[in-house]
Amino acid sequence: MSTPNYTHRITVQASTEHLSEVRDFVASYATKHGVSSHEVEDIRLAVDEAYTNIIKHAYQYDDSRFVEIVMGSEKDEFWVSLKDNGKSFNPTEYPDPDVEERIKKKERGGVGVYLMKKLMDRIEYHKHDGTNEIRMIKKL
Amino acid sequence: MSFKVSERYNCVIIEFKGNVMGGPDAVELNDTLHELIEEGKKNVVVDLAKVKFMNSSGLGMLIGGLTTMRKAGGDLRIANPTDKIESLLVVTKLITVFKHYESLEEAVNSYNKEEGEEEEND
Repeated sequence: MSTPNYTHRITVQASTEHLSEVRDFVASYATKHGVSSHEVEDIRLAVDEAYTNIIKHAYQYDDSRFVEIVMGSEKDEFWVSLKDNGKSFNPTEYPDPDVEERIKKKERGGVGVYLMKKLMDRIEYHKHDGTNEIRMIKKL
Repeated sequence: MSFKVSERYNCVIIEFKGNVMGGPDAVELNDTLHELIEEGKKNVVVDLAKVKFMNSSGLGMLIGGLTTMRKAGGDLRIANPTDKIESLLVVTKLITVFKHYESLEEAVNSYNKEEGEEEEND
Protein backbone atom coordinates (compact mmCIF):
# COMPACT_ATOMS: atom_id res chain seq x y z
CA MET A 1 0.00 0.00 0.00
CA SER A 2 2.58 2.60 1.06
CA THR A 3 5.87 3.13 2.81
CA PRO A 4 5.34 2.53 6.54
CA ASN A 5 5.70 5.58 8.80
CA TYR A 6 6.08 7.94 5.84
CA THR A 7 4.40 11.23 6.61
CA HIS A 8 3.60 14.38 4.72
CA ARG A 9 2.82 17.80 6.19
CA ILE A 10 1.73 21.32 5.33
CA THR A 11 1.11 24.39 7.44
CA VAL A 12 -1.63 26.76 6.32
CA GLN A 13 -3.22 29.93 7.61
CA ALA A 14 -6.52 29.37 9.39
CA SER A 15 -8.83 30.85 6.78
CA THR A 16 -11.77 29.51 4.80
CA GLU A 17 -9.93 30.90 1.74
CA HIS A 18 -7.60 27.91 2.03
CA LEU A 19 -10.35 25.28 2.37
CA SER A 20 -10.21 23.99 -1.18
CA GLU A 21 -6.39 24.01 -1.20
CA VAL A 22 -6.38 21.92 2.02
CA ARG A 23 -8.99 19.49 0.68
CA ASP A 24 -7.16 19.03 -2.62
CA PHE A 25 -3.80 18.59 -0.91
CA VAL A 26 -5.10 15.83 1.36
CA ALA A 27 -7.07 14.16 -1.44
CA SER A 28 -4.07 14.15 -3.77
CA TYR A 29 -1.81 12.59 -1.13
CA ALA A 30 -4.42 9.96 -0.23
CA THR A 31 -4.95 9.08 -3.90
CA LYS A 32 -1.19 8.70 -4.46
CA HIS A 33 -1.09 6.29 -1.53
CA GLY A 34 -3.67 3.95 -2.97
CA VAL A 35 -6.78 5.10 -1.10
CA SER A 36 -9.91 4.35 -3.17
CA SER A 37 -11.76 7.28 -4.74
CA HIS A 38 -14.82 6.70 -2.53
CA GLU A 39 -12.68 6.79 0.61
CA VAL A 40 -10.77 9.83 -0.66
CA GLU A 41 -14.10 11.70 -0.85
CA ASP A 42 -14.88 10.73 2.78
CA ILE A 43 -11.43 11.94 3.91
CA ARG A 44 -11.77 15.15 1.87
CA LEU A 45 -15.05 16.04 3.60
CA ALA A 46 -13.87 15.01 7.10
CA VAL A 47 -10.76 17.23 6.74
CA ASP A 48 -12.91 20.12 5.48
CA GLU A 49 -15.11 19.84 8.58
CA ALA A 50 -12.16 19.51 11.01
CA TYR A 51 -10.31 22.47 9.48
CA THR A 52 -13.50 24.60 9.49
CA ASN A 53 -14.03 23.77 13.18
CA ILE A 54 -10.50 24.96 14.01
CA ILE A 55 -11.12 28.24 12.15
CA LYS A 56 -14.44 28.76 13.96
CA HIS A 57 -13.89 27.33 17.44
CA ALA A 58 -10.14 27.12 18.16
CA TYR A 59 -9.13 30.42 16.51
CA GLN A 60 -12.52 32.16 16.32
CA TYR A 61 -11.84 33.43 12.77
CA ASP A 62 -8.39 34.89 13.58
CA ASP A 63 -6.69 34.26 10.22
CA SER A 64 -3.24 35.23 11.52
CA ARG A 65 -3.07 31.78 13.19
CA PHE A 66 -1.91 28.55 11.58
CA VAL A 67 -3.00 24.93 11.24
CA GLU A 68 -0.53 22.12 10.67
CA ILE A 69 -1.79 19.14 8.71
CA VAL A 70 0.11 15.87 8.86
CA MET A 71 -0.79 12.73 6.95
CA GLY A 72 0.54 9.24 6.76
CA SER A 73 -0.37 5.69 5.96
CA GLU A 74 0.74 2.56 7.72
CA LYS A 75 -0.21 -1.05 7.03
CA ASP A 76 -3.97 -0.90 6.51
CA GLU A 77 -4.63 2.61 7.80
CA PHE A 78 -4.57 6.13 6.43
CA TRP A 79 -4.46 8.90 9.02
CA VAL A 80 -4.59 12.67 8.97
CA SER A 81 -3.89 14.99 11.89
CA LEU A 82 -4.82 18.65 12.22
CA LYS A 83 -2.92 20.62 14.85
CA ASP A 84 -3.66 24.07 16.26
CA ASN A 85 -2.67 26.20 19.24
CA GLY A 86 -6.08 27.73 19.89
CA LYS A 87 -8.95 27.10 22.25
CA SER A 88 -9.42 23.41 23.07
CA PHE A 89 -12.19 21.68 21.22
CA ASN A 90 -12.56 17.95 21.71
CA PRO A 91 -14.83 16.55 19.00
CA THR A 92 -14.82 13.08 20.56
CA GLU A 93 -16.81 14.48 23.51
CA TYR A 94 -19.30 16.26 21.27
CA PRO A 95 -22.74 14.58 21.35
CA ASP A 96 -24.30 13.34 18.11
CA PRO A 97 -27.01 15.75 16.97
CA ASP A 98 -30.62 14.77 16.42
CA VAL A 99 -30.87 16.32 12.97
CA GLU A 100 -34.67 16.31 12.76
CA GLU A 101 -34.93 17.88 16.20
CA ARG A 102 -32.42 20.56 15.17
CA ILE A 103 -34.52 21.42 12.14
CA LYS A 104 -37.65 21.73 14.28
CA LYS A 105 -35.84 24.01 16.72
CA LYS A 106 -34.06 25.82 13.85
CA GLU A 107 -30.67 25.14 15.37
CA ARG A 108 -27.62 25.19 13.16
CA GLY A 109 -24.28 23.45 13.50
CA GLY A 110 -23.14 20.27 15.20
CA VAL A 111 -23.48 18.27 12.00
CA GLY A 112 -19.80 18.72 11.04
CA VAL A 113 -18.42 16.73 13.98
CA TYR A 114 -21.06 14.07 13.43
CA LEU A 115 -19.97 13.78 9.79
CA MET A 116 -16.29 13.49 10.78
CA LYS A 117 -17.16 10.57 13.06
CA LYS A 118 -19.35 8.88 10.46
CA LEU A 119 -16.98 9.32 7.51
CA MET A 120 -13.83 8.14 9.32
CA ASP A 121 -13.29 4.93 11.27
CA ARG A 122 -11.79 6.56 14.34
CA ILE A 123 -11.33 10.09 15.69
CA GLU A 124 -8.79 10.85 18.44
CA TYR A 125 -8.14 14.07 20.30
CA HIS A 126 -4.80 14.77 21.96
CA LYS A 127 -3.55 17.85 23.75
CA HIS A 128 0.14 18.39 24.46
CA ASP A 129 1.97 21.59 25.45
CA GLY A 130 -0.87 23.85 24.28
CA THR A 131 -1.26 22.08 20.94
CA ASN A 132 -4.58 20.46 20.07
CA GLU A 133 -4.40 17.53 17.72
CA ILE A 134 -7.36 15.92 15.99
CA ARG A 135 -6.32 12.65 14.41
CA MET A 136 -8.70 10.96 12.01
CA ILE A 137 -8.10 7.41 10.91
CA LYS A 138 -9.52 5.53 7.94
CA LYS A 139 -9.05 1.78 7.64
CA LEU A 140 -8.08 0.69 4.16
CA MET B 1 -20.84 28.40 -5.59
CA SER B 2 -23.15 30.02 -8.09
CA PHE B 3 -26.83 29.46 -8.66
CA LYS B 4 -29.20 30.03 -11.53
CA VAL B 5 -32.92 30.59 -11.12
CA SER B 6 -35.42 29.59 -13.79
CA GLU B 7 -39.10 28.68 -13.96
CA ARG B 8 -40.85 25.66 -15.34
CA TYR B 9 -44.62 25.16 -15.22
CA ASN B 10 -45.66 25.93 -11.68
CA CYS B 11 -42.30 25.77 -9.97
CA VAL B 12 -38.98 27.54 -9.65
CA ILE B 13 -35.77 25.67 -10.34
CA ILE B 14 -32.60 26.77 -8.59
CA GLU B 15 -29.54 25.15 -10.12
CA PHE B 16 -26.53 25.01 -7.81
CA LYS B 17 -23.06 24.83 -9.32
CA GLY B 18 -19.63 24.29 -7.74
CA ASN B 19 -18.81 24.02 -4.03
CA VAL B 20 -21.83 24.37 -1.72
CA MET B 21 -20.41 25.55 1.59
CA GLY B 22 -22.88 28.04 3.08
CA GLY B 23 -21.39 31.37 4.19
CA PRO B 24 -22.30 34.32 1.92
CA ASP B 25 -24.11 31.94 -0.46
CA ALA B 26 -26.59 31.12 2.33
CA VAL B 27 -27.50 34.82 2.64
CA GLU B 28 -27.93 35.14 -1.13
CA LEU B 29 -30.11 32.02 -1.31
CA ASN B 30 -32.21 33.21 1.61
CA ASP B 31 -32.77 36.60 -0.10
CA THR B 32 -33.76 34.86 -3.35
CA LEU B 33 -36.23 32.58 -1.57
CA HIS B 34 -37.84 35.51 0.22
CA GLU B 35 -38.21 37.38 -3.09
CA LEU B 36 -39.89 34.30 -4.58
CA ILE B 37 -42.26 34.02 -1.62
CA GLU B 38 -43.22 37.69 -2.04
CA GLU B 39 -44.03 36.96 -5.69
CA GLY B 40 -46.20 34.04 -4.57
CA LYS B 41 -43.79 31.42 -5.95
CA LYS B 42 -43.51 28.79 -3.28
CA ASN B 43 -42.67 25.56 -5.12
CA VAL B 44 -38.90 25.27 -5.37
CA VAL B 45 -36.70 22.54 -6.81
CA VAL B 46 -32.97 22.67 -6.11
CA ASP B 47 -31.02 20.93 -8.88
CA LEU B 48 -27.79 19.50 -7.48
CA ALA B 49 -26.43 17.83 -10.64
CA LYS B 50 -23.55 20.31 -11.03
CA VAL B 51 -22.46 20.36 -7.39
CA LYS B 52 -18.83 19.34 -6.99
CA PHE B 53 -18.60 19.41 -3.20
CA MET B 54 -20.92 19.99 -0.25
CA ASN B 55 -20.05 20.23 3.45
CA SER B 56 -22.13 20.55 6.63
CA SER B 57 -22.51 24.33 6.12
CA GLY B 58 -23.90 23.63 2.64
CA LEU B 59 -26.35 21.15 4.15
CA GLY B 60 -27.26 23.81 6.73
CA MET B 61 -28.02 26.19 3.88
CA LEU B 62 -30.38 23.64 2.27
CA ILE B 63 -32.10 23.05 5.63
CA GLY B 64 -32.51 26.81 6.07
CA GLY B 65 -34.07 27.02 2.60
CA LEU B 66 -36.40 24.12 3.36
CA THR B 67 -37.70 25.65 6.59
CA THR B 68 -38.17 29.06 4.89
CA MET B 69 -40.26 27.54 2.09
CA ARG B 70 -42.32 25.22 4.33
CA LYS B 71 -43.06 28.08 6.72
CA ALA B 72 -44.41 30.04 3.74
CA GLY B 73 -46.66 27.10 2.82
CA GLY B 74 -44.41 25.83 0.02
CA ASP B 75 -41.60 23.32 -0.24
CA LEU B 76 -37.99 22.93 -1.35
CA ARG B 77 -37.33 19.64 -3.12
CA ILE B 78 -34.06 18.17 -4.29
CA ALA B 79 -33.33 16.88 -7.78
CA ASN B 80 -30.31 15.04 -9.19
CA PRO B 81 -28.29 14.49 -6.02
CA THR B 82 -24.93 12.95 -6.95
CA ASP B 83 -24.01 9.67 -5.22
CA LYS B 84 -21.76 11.63 -2.87
CA ILE B 85 -24.52 14.02 -1.84
CA GLU B 86 -27.07 11.24 -1.52
CA SER B 87 -24.79 9.37 0.89
CA LEU B 88 -24.30 12.63 2.81
CA LEU B 89 -28.08 12.95 3.12
CA VAL B 90 -28.33 9.34 4.28
CA VAL B 91 -25.54 9.68 6.89
CA THR B 92 -27.13 12.82 8.36
CA LYS B 93 -30.65 11.28 8.08
CA LEU B 94 -31.71 14.33 6.07
CA ILE B 95 -32.90 11.97 3.35
CA THR B 96 -36.09 11.59 5.41
CA VAL B 97 -36.53 15.36 5.67
CA PHE B 98 -36.19 16.40 2.02
CA LYS B 99 -38.39 15.15 -0.80
CA HIS B 100 -35.77 14.10 -3.33
CA TYR B 101 -35.94 12.93 -6.94
CA GLU B 102 -33.50 11.34 -9.35
CA SER B 103 -34.32 13.75 -12.16
CA LEU B 104 -35.45 17.33 -12.59
CA GLU B 105 -38.54 16.11 -14.48
CA GLU B 106 -39.63 13.94 -11.55
CA ALA B 107 -39.15 16.80 -9.09
CA VAL B 108 -41.13 19.24 -11.25
CA ASN B 109 -43.86 16.64 -11.84
CA SER B 110 -44.18 16.01 -8.10
CA TYR B 111 -45.66 19.52 -7.75
CA ASN B 112 -47.89 19.13 -10.83
CA LYS B 113 -49.23 15.85 -9.50
CA GLU B 114 -50.10 17.43 -6.14
CA GLU B 115 -51.88 20.34 -7.84
CA GLY B 116 -53.86 17.88 -9.93
CA GLU B 117 -54.89 15.97 -6.82
CA GLU B 118 -55.94 19.19 -5.11
CA GLU B 119 -58.11 20.15 -8.09
CA GLU B 120 -59.73 16.70 -8.07
CA ASN B 121 -60.55 17.16 -4.40
CA ASP B 122 -62.14 20.60 -4.95
